[in-house]
Amino acid sequence: MAWVALVVAGIFEMLGVTMINKLHKDRNLQALILLIISFAASFGFLAYAMGSLPMGVSYAIWTGIGASGGAIIGMILYGESKDWKRIVFITMILGAVIGLKLVS
Amino acid sequence: MDKNWVKVLVAALFEVLWVIGLKHADGFWEWIGTIIAIYISFYLMIMASKQLPVGTVYAVFVGLGTVGTVFADFAFFGVPLQLAKVVLIVILLAGVIGLKLVTEDNVKEGVES
Repeated sequence: MAWVALVVAGIFEMLGVTMINKLHKDRNLQALILLIISFAASFGFLAYAMGSLPMGVSYAIWTGIGASGGAIIGMILYGESKDWKRIVFITMILGAVIGLKLVS
Repeated sequence: MDKNWVKVLVAALFEVLWVIGLKHADGFWEWIGTIIAIYISFYLMIMASKQLPVGTVYAVFVGLGTVGTVFADFAFFGVPLQLAKVVLIVILLAGVIGLKLVTEDNVKEGVES
């Protein structure tokens, strides 16, 4: 169950990042509320998963799904740059974050 | 330096504060401080992504927050800083600088269109 909760937490983070895009595009209360709910649900599921999984692994997988998923959705749905250099630099950052969380 | 990038930097700094808060907060006022830090960091991060791509801002926000947390653990909580961590931090910071360099061009293109 903890692993399922962890994946769900990552998906909610991805949704939260996507809602930031939606908020800037639509500028309405609905996007803001969805943003808050997404991040709150994400933290809730993450906290639940960390109850039984190691913190470093949990955080690494959570960031891996959420931040990279959010970036990919931004490129597909919101026209963010697909420049290969941008993708390489984002991968370097998120890869290093995952590594740091696993080492810690 | 562009003011949107300064916002991301400050947002990451507050992220470090609330990560420390979630781990170590004890008592009413420390939890209030942690909640305020969460609010400020998310507010600044979202404002920065008004003009910069959200994927870029979020990656830098998460990345710098992680570096700050590792550094705070080392400086204030006595957690050792192994070579592997230093190498990863260098890769991460190189990614942030690279992203800043390629994003400036994108912002200019965005303004023209």
